[in-house]
Amino acid sequence: MDAAIGIRVNDGVIVATSRACTRSITILKPDDDKTRILNEHNILAYTGTSGDTTQFADYIQGNMQLYSMREGVDLNSKGIASYIRHELATSLRSRSPYQVNILLAGLDKGDAPFLSNIDYMGTRVDLPYAAHGYAAFYVMSLFDRHYRPDMTLKDGMKLLKMCKAELDERFPVVFKGFQVKVVDKEGIHSSELE
Amino acid sequence: MSQDPSTYNGGSAVAMVGKDCVAIASDLRLGQQSLGLSNDFEKIFHYGHVFLGLTGLATDVMSVHEDLRKKTNLYKMKEQREIEPKSFANLISSSLYKRRFGPWFVGPIVAGLNSHSGKPFICGFDYIGCIDFAKDFIVAGTASEQLFGMCESLYEPNLEPEDLFETISQALLNAVDRDALSGWGAVVYVITKDKVVKRFLKTRQD
Amino acid sequence: MSINALTKKYSYQSEADKEIEGAVKDFGHLVPGIDNMSPSISLPPISKPTAFLRANTDDSVNPDCKIKIAHGTTTLAFRFKEGIIVAVDSRATAGSWVASQTVKKVIEINPMLLGTMAGGAADCQYWETWLGTQCRLHELRNKERISVAAASKILSNLVYSYKGMGLSMGTMICGYTPKEGPTIYYVDSDGTRVKGNIFSVGSGQTFAYGVMDANYRWDLSVDEALYLGKRAILAATHRDAYSGGSINLYHVTEKGWVYHGNYNVGPLFWEIKEKEGSFNNVKS
Repeated sequence: MDAAIGIRVNDGVIVATSRACTRSITILKPDDDKTRILNEHNILAYTGTSGDTTQFADYIQGNMQLYSMREGVDLNSKGIASYIRHELATSLRSRSPYQVNILLAGLDKGDAPFLSNIDYMGTRVDLPYAAHGYAAFYVMSLFDRHYRPDMTLKDGMKLLKMCKAELDERFPVVFKGFQVKVVDKEGIHSSELE
Repeated sequence: MSQDPSTYNGGSAVAMVGKDCVAIASDLRLGQQSLGLSNDFEKIFHYGHVFLGLTGLATDVMSVHEDLRKKTNLYKMKEQREIEPKSFANLISSSLYKRRFGPWFVGPIVAGLNSHSGKPFICGFDYIGCIDFAKDFIVAGTASEQLFGMCESLYEPNLEPEDLFETISQALLNAVDRDALSGWGAVVYVITKDKVVKRFLKTRQD
Repeated sequence: MSINALTKKYSYQSEADKEIEGAVKDFGHLVPGIDNMSPSISLPPISKPTAFLRANTDDSVNPDCKIKIAHGTTTLAFRFKEGIIVAVDSRATAGSWVASQTVKKVIEINPMLLGTMAGGAADCQYWETWLGTQCRLHELRNKERISVAAASKILSNLVYSYKGMGLSMGTMICGYTPKEGPTIYYVDSDGTRVKGNIFSVGSGQTFAYGVMDANYRWDLSVDEALYLGKRAILAATHRDAYSGGSINLYHVTEKGWVYHGNYNVGPLFWEIKEKEGSFNNVKS
């Protein structure tokens, strides 16, 4: 029952993932990080079945690092999205498919902000804003109303705050807040939702 | 509601034959059951001069498209020409039947003109590769029942490209408006011997 | 002021009341007791009617069930300084089939009370109309208009008596009485009955809440409030496949409800997108 939210803005991409790592009726960890840094300008956020999530994310991260070492250049965002989609689509028809949903955020070719939504089946859509889990049912209408294509990272954070406020008010499950990461020209850094 | 792969993402497509032309159209919605995710998910692809509409489970729509792209590219390299509609239909049929016991959950429809004779060709398939040759129109997707109703009443043979565009557009639009899982925009291709016209339709957004 | 003067002031059919007054004197002993308030509904000749109904009509239990009951809705109501706004969509679906785009999901119980419709269309329509008759009988018996609390409780008690038998309704009873002010009760077929300021019910509720919570204030003007209600339903019709059609808007004031029109989502969407600069996921 975790959440991942992504917003693509003018000068970068923001991803936020819920901090709570929950098993059964216990919060095991209140400061979980559901993201992996793939390379200088690409980050992956995940939700899904425990075990599958970290295994799959580590696998993708490992292969992206291997790619960078072999080729001497980072794979661009669209390439990574295609790769992840392919891995999930292949896995879907295996004995035990990965049940992992992905948000891929990055600067495509180190320049154009990019956000891709890939579900566990390998359905990929590139969107200006996206969310996984039940959180999507609350925040998509907020995005429809308040998102503007010329928003800056600062505006994006404001919008993310609105999302958090709505989830805190209406969603019965405790997220323990959000871990926020930002991709921009300078690279990837953590950010605080105060 | 249910976890049926063929209705999980929603979406519909239709193809029609006119006078020395064919038209193929689809909606643009991609959803996860009730939740609409994308209004930019085109279900019409082309391989050379042959057009393909793919409805069904979105991940399989993408996988089948990628698979056919690979196969038609290899075909082009080997044969030094683009694949013709009829051969393409047989390629799809055998590709789908190869997955008889672990199928792709897709509903493909093909439309194109034979590059030598200029003869219009359309056909549809079930998800394991049975070809449905048709002289008039082919429908697929979650609004297929509605599309059958619209096509049966609106279609007439030997329409000129402009009239065929009008007919296929009205058929699609009015069909998807009666389906909760289709809509959110539409795209129409009208294919004639010397040009292909692609148009996006403005539709209801609910 | 005497009680009769008060009654007269707040009655909307005082002439009819006079007539009934005489009738009650003569035939008062024939007025049915509380036990006979609801009509009796005949049961089918099956050993377990509830199990039969669930197996054949509840698509969450049996997706292949043959009898599909109209579902899927977004309705909302919120209280603010100048009364209550009620807004609803108008789509009815049976599975993915859009059965109707022109359903009236606000039931005008009487000139002061509104009920909204989510869940089983027939259940809501029937029992809220029935609630209207009960409210009228209350007026005749007590020479006083029924409170929203009492009206909602009549409905709540009724649906509770049918609990487990497959009634499906999620409704908001909205009204304005002198002693209560603008009041909304949420009543559903589980028997839940709660008073509150902001409610949204149906498959598109979350989308409506998203917009409503972000832009709601107690001191909204009437125009602002009507727009917010309309906009929240529009958000839901856009994202929720099972909501759509058109939007019906109502404003409940101390003088009763006022209808503020029907807005077809088709053109309304583009109009609002253009004006607000919103819905940037949609290409125009």
